[in-house]
Amino acid sequence: MPRIERHANVTWDGTNARGRGAISAGTGAFTGLEYSLPVRIGKGTEGKTSPEELLAAAHAGCFAMSLAGELRRDDAHVDVTANVVMDEVEGKGHRIVESQLTVRVAASGIERGEEFDRIVRAAHEGCPFSQLIEASAKVTIDAELEGQWPTAVQA
Amino acid sequence: MADRSASVTWQGDLMSGHGEIEEVPSGAFGPLQVTWSARAEDSNGKTSPEELLAAAHATCFAMALSHGLAQSGHAAERLQTSATVTFVPGTGVTRSALTVVGSVPGIGEDEFQAAAEDAKENCPVSKALGGVEKTLEARLQ
Repeated sequence: MPRIERHANVTWDGTNARGRGAISAGTGAFTGLEYSLPVRIGKGTEGKTSPEELLAAAHAGCFAMSLAGELRRDDAHVDVTANVVMDEVEGKGHRIVESQLTVRVAASGIERGEEFDRIVRAAHEGCPFSQLIEASAKVTIDAELEGQWPTAVQA
Repeated sequence: MADRSASVTWQGDLMSGHGEIEEVPSGAFGPLQVTWSARAEDSNGKTSPEELLAAAHATCFAMALSHGLAQSGHAAERLQTSATVTFVPGTGVTRSALTVVGSVPGIGEDEFQAAAEDAKENCPVSKALGGVEKTLEARLQ
């Protein structure tokens, strides 16, 4: 398979503390998303995104695809939430220290325990973003098999 | 400490199934549709983990550079940054190519290049991309 490139454009006006910026995707899937420093490191988001929120979306998306690839089932239903944590590390400034994944799966014919655990582990090992983040930070996974997805919903 | 989360739902297998990045908690974007073919072939207007990473990296780099410039007494009027992320299926994310065009009153070329290089090396997303090749093209407007 050929290599794939995806790009995004960002503008920033003004100083770090008081300026503001906008983020647009090369595909056009999103445009003009606002961000600012107080929102990135503060508690309130004011409807603005941040690099960490974008990274959380990337990791959750990547893991969900990787898991679907391991489950190999038309009736699989996967929910993944990634929570990305940035913290001030002594002597190193702000660092992304952790991505916490919460994974819920419904799929036919998979047993709780060893089989499910093996599938989750394989999804983690096959997800490029898990591997990227794990190289410099921690990835935790809380995964549960919630039973068989009702086939009626699929029809 | 800052926590940011996002959730994705996927339905079906990888090749023929489809997913949705739910509206993010900040409300800034979503829901966004994702599929394997849009990720690995033509995007058809759909985003992908690599595009979201490109957005995260370009944003983080812009913020770090604006901070560095302001601290050295040359606050930027405007920075336009971009990141292009390369994904090789089977290998992973191999590269993120950053560019910046800056309007920075009173700064010299060398000083701007050094500030951009520093932001490329030290922004939190760059630090989280330890094993990925990072390139930089910086110019003053």
